[in-house]
Amino acid sequence: MIRHLITLMWNRKRANGLLIVEIFLAFVVLFSVGSVGVYTWRNYQTPLGFDYQDVWEIDLNPGTQPRAEQFGTLQRILQRLRSTPGIVSVSRSVSNTPFAFSENSTTLDTGEGTPQGYGDVYDADAELPEVMGLRIVAGRWFDRRDDAVSRRPPVVITELMQRALFPDGQSAIGKTVRASLGKPEEFQVIGVSGPYRAGGELSEPRPGFFLYVSPQDTARAMQVLLVRVRPGAGAALEKRITNDVRAINASWEMGVNPLPTQRLAQLKVNLAPPVILGMVCIFLIVNVALGLFGVLWLNISRRRGEIGVRRAMGATAGNISLQVLGEILVLTTFGLGLGLLVAAQFPLLGVMGVQTGVYLTAMLLAAGLLYLLATVCALYPSRLAAGIQPAVALREE
Amino acid sequence: MNQFPTSATQPAPTVAAAEAVIQLTGIEKVYQTKTIETVALNQVNLSIQRGEFVSVMGPSGCGKSTLLSIMGLLDEPTSGTVAIDGRSVTSYSDRELANLRNHKIGFVFQSYHLINDLSVLDNVELPLLYRSGVSGKERRQRALAALDTVGLSARTRHFPSQLSGGQRQRVAIARALAGRPEIILADEPTGNLDSVMGEEIMDLLLTLNRQQGATIVMVTHDEQQALKTERIIRFFDGSQVN
Ligand SMILES: Nc1ncnc2c1ncn2[C@@H]1O[C@H](COP(=O)(O)OP(=O)(O)OP(=O)(O)O)[C@@H](O)[C@H]1O
Ligand SMILES: [Mg+2]
Repeated sequence: MIRHLITLMWNRKRANGLLIVEIFLAFVVLFSVGSVGVYTWRNYQTPLGFDYQDVWEIDLNPGTQPRAEQFGTLQRILQRLRSTPGIVSVSRSVSNTPFAFSENSTTLDTGEGTPQGYGDVYDADAELPEVMGLRIVAGRWFDRRDDAVSRRPPVVITELMQRALFPDGQSAIGKTVRASLGKPEEFQVIGVSGPYRAGGELSEPRPGFFLYVSPQDTARAMQVLLVRVRPGAGAALEKRITNDVRAINASWEMGVNPLPTQRLAQLKVNLAPPVILGMVCIFLIVNVALGLFGVLWLNISRRRGEIGVRRAMGATAGNISLQVLGEILVLTTFGLGLGLLVAAQFPLLGVMGVQTGVYLTAMLLAAGLLYLLATVCALYPSRLAAGIQPAVALREE
Repeated sequence: MNQFPTSATQPAPTVAAAEAVIQLTGIEKVYQTKTIETVALNQVNLSIQRGEFVSVMGPSGCGKSTLLSIMGLLDEPTSGTVAIDGRSVTSYSDRELANLRNHKIGFVFQSYHLINDLSVLDNVELPLLYRSGVSGKERRQRALAALDTVGLSARTRHFPSQLSGGQRQRVAIARALAGRPEIILADEPTGNLDSVMGEEIMDLLLTLNRQQGATIVMVTHDEQQALKTERIIRFFDGSQVN
């Protein structure tokens, strides 16, 4: 019976060509959007590696204060913050804080022609793990021992970076790595951390590493602080911090941005494209559904004679129902077959460097959705076809 | 021997009824539309014996096609009973009726009713497609044999649109034969054909009746053709007149 359906639909491919093309296009679009969706969803499911609840970002602006005096003021601000009840810990940072629309990335390697790891670079002081809840999985984090100037400054890399640089699985601790970041080109790995996806939940998980900012550093990490506050801290604490900073130096300006708020703002912006794509998809699906329904409807009214003959030859009403459903599923398969030829190119060519699993999942989703759509669209027409009286249908024409 | 479902509640066929392949008793068919009521068949009692070649004649609209539809279990009478091989089919389900049509009856229509998008061979295989337990290979063989019987072995890969009217009707006959039914119901099989081709079809039906013992009921407007059959049943206004 299936062969019969395939033969019949193959012979009718011209008449149903438009529908096949429509299903093909729908598949390609659904597959593309599905890939974006699956990719986004997978990223969303991957751990951030830090805890953003009860962390505030404080942006400082020294205003008109002469540059030479700025470090002293910063020291005093840090001291005051660290002794403020309600504040747990404070870390100096730069602009690529979590959920900020800012990133800083470069490549690390272990020598000429060795594996490379491309990813995020963060400036971090000794307090960062405490403030952000960052996990250390091997070696250690920065501490006083790292304050002395050395030929190869310390670096902490993330697990993904460890895997990128040492695919054979050997430990990165103590190894020398190179980055073209300016003066010191060589660094020594002192620790491996868990992930730190400051780009947010929707960003692609990728390698990263941390460069040390010592407490005496007067050049870097001067304007952004990450502060862990006690759970439940709110407007009162924010006000107190603002007043304290103003009391220390009136020309400094500051803003407090809780990370949970920043996260929502970032999600809103980053989710807009997938949501718009999703709406386009819904529109498309409705269109395809109408097309399927229309073609089925037309087919049935045109093929009443054929339905009558099939009944005369021994088809039950149920057989006729299945025939209508089967035909549309076969047509859908033709369209999907063409679509798969296109979709298969993505993982084969490794387009956009996304994992093959994302494409496969998207293919399955798109195909499943279209089969479901075809089945739903065929339900009513197939019942209609089954209800055709053979004697009546056969006398027409 | 019976390949169609039987029901334990049914009486065993009597010896006399067993001879009749089709038995119509008190058949009435009334078409009810909003405004008018058409009595297409009125108290028809008829029995078709095994191996008979019967022609049905009568003016247009007298109910011949309706009679064939009811005999062929495609339509239900308003009242009266249809018995196939001595068993009333009144209480049969859709599935049982379909099964009976499939195994026992072959249909031939005036306008052929071939499926245009299927090759000659695929068209002829159609009845076997609705029969369980027939392999693809067997279907093919039986269809080819049926096409051989109607002399169209050379046209199996053609499509209906590539055939003449006479050839198309022969394909339709082959399709009716492929399931090896005992009964062939033909509604004006030569109605769309010129006299030469009509003659061919008539000869084919006669051969099937004589050599293979097929029971044939044929509606025709052609007196010459009717005279070649064993029995002529005449209808007028829904009733038998002889
Ligand atoms: N579905 C229907 N609804 C209403 N009336 C019908 C229907 N089918 C048949 N009739 C009527 O029943 C009568 C018998 O029709 P039928 O087709 O059996 O005649 P016929 O003898 O085969 O005619 P012809 O020689 O023209 O084929 C006609 O008056 C026809 O109008
Ligand atoms: Mg008629």
